[in-house]
Amino acid sequence: MIRARLLPYQLGVLLAVLAVWQVTTQRRWVDPFFFSQPSAVAGRVGEWFATGFIYRHLWTTALETVLAFLVGAALGVAFGFWFARSPALSAIFDPYLKIANALPRVVLAPIFTLWFGLGVLSKVAFGVTLVFFIVFFNTYQGIREVDANLLNNTRMLGANEGDLVRHVLLPSALVWILSSLHTSVGLALVGAVVGEYLGAGRGLGYVIAQSEGTFDTTGVFAGMTVLAAFTLVIDLIVTLIERRLLAWKPEAAGRP
Amino acid sequence: MSARIAPEDLLSGGAYRRRVSAIEFAGVTRRFAVPRGGTYVAVEDVSLSVAPGEFVAIVGPTGGGKSTLLNLAAGLIRPSAGAVSSFGQRVDGINRRAAYLFQQDVLLPWKTALDNVVLGPLLRRRPKGQAEALARQWLARVGLRGFENRYPHQLSGGMRKRVALAQSLIVGPEILLMDEPFSALDVQTRALMENDLLRIWQDDRKTVLFVTHDLEEAIALADRVLVLSAGPGARIIGAHAVALSRPRDVTEVRLEPAFQDVYRAVWGQLRGEVLRAYAASVPALDEPSGTRSARS
Repeated sequence: MIRARLLPYQLGVLLAVLAVWQVTTQRRWVDPFFFSQPSAVAGRVGEWFATGFIYRHLWTTALETVLAFLVGAALGVAFGFWFARSPALSAIFDPYLKIANALPRVVLAPIFTLWFGLGVLSKVAFGVTLVFFIVFFNTYQGIREVDANLLNNTRMLGANEGDLVRHVLLPSALVWILSSLHTSVGLALVGAVVGEYLGAGRGLGYVIAQSEGTFDTTGVFAGMTVLAAFTLVIDLIVTLIERRLLAWKPEAAGRP
Repeated sequence: MSARIAPEDLLSGGAYRRRVSAIEFAGVTRRFAVPRGGTYVAVEDVSLSVAPGEFVAIVGPTGGGKSTLLNLAAGLIRPSAGAVSSFGQRVDGINRRAAYLFQQDVLLPWKTALDNVVLGPLLRRRPKGQAEALARQWLARVGLRGFENRYPHQLSGGMRKRVALAQSLIVGPEILLMDEPFSALDVQTRALMENDLLRIWQDDRKTVLFVTHDLEEAIALADRVLVLSAGPGARIIGAHAVALSRPRDVTEVRLEPAFQDVYRAVWGQLRGEVLRAYAASVPALDEPSGTRSARS
């Protein structure tokens, strides 16, 4: 496979960057106070896991991410569905949805901290505002673009409105929802981390913010490394879910 | 669907005197709103009746309101004027006695062949085990044993049509509405499918209303051929009985003199309509081809 042949080159890029970073800081060509060192970062990450310090932060961030995604996606699907099925409603709310979606959501984070406190809830609320719109617009589009012939055929076979939702509308929208899953899960994580960064008692964002506050660049890079690894794991899980649910699609079946 | 008797039958006592029609159109007109404003009259003052067990084909030029007639019989749309009834009952909402075979691919792409076929019985609240056994039987009957777990995209166009046929017939409809179901298939596959349709139809003689623009297909399959005029405002302008013996083979029946006679008679009527429909579409076709030749 092409993927297997690319792997040595991809690893080579990583090693080269790490080597340059390590050597330049080792020789003091650049100041490790500002840039830290790969060996120090690796040491710090190892220490976090060895002492168990990182687990409660990881757990908090994971919990916030999952909750924000589930609540945001559920609301997005419900409202997307509802609006797609009643054109009058969508016409009335259309300008407000556009305005709400255009608003940079980061400005909401301090308000949510005020409303929901420093704990998990304010991060979930913030993540929900990010996830909701992606899922909402995709569900809306998915329901609107259902082939009328599929609906008519299923009606002729004896389907009532509830059957249509279950057998035609939801599976059809699922393609659109899943296509946005990578983006929306990523945004749920962004919501959690940014929320923690702006004010929290635990979580990966909190760890990074604390390290920054004490000019501990090694801590910042170590936090980023754990965050990146965490993102990769979540992305992998999403890919597996996607493959499972879209097994009927020609592209998914052709994939190795 | 309400169970009332059409007024004209009450007046004439027709419902009691003659066999009731499987499908009856009484002065049916259907208009559509055009997006740019105004209305388009698809069919105008159409009256026809199909007897139980009869195979009727409707031929007409492309884009002439043939599908509209089927949608009216299926209850997917309502007439703007006139009335559609089925076995003496006015069609008001989905016609539960009818199955519909569409021109397009309408299998649910996220369901396997088996799950697509089993859908009808499940929607009619049959027990799952029983429905699945029945679906396997039907897939075998259309020659797809061993393909139960394939998704539609893993099947050829002809196979998908077979699955769609099984999906429609499994619910035990009394009427089969068919909208150019084989038009997307290649000539050989099409002849095979037509023969299979006749073979399956021969077993229990359902009422069939078959719409096509292919005159040969219409004559080879049907007991009676109705000719629809070019739209807008399409009307039935002729009816021709096809006196060919059954069972038929669609490829061989074409060589019989009786086939040729019907062909000549129907084509005599259809020809003018096809030319009218073509003339109406030509200005639209002319322009792009002119620019293409100018460029090259």
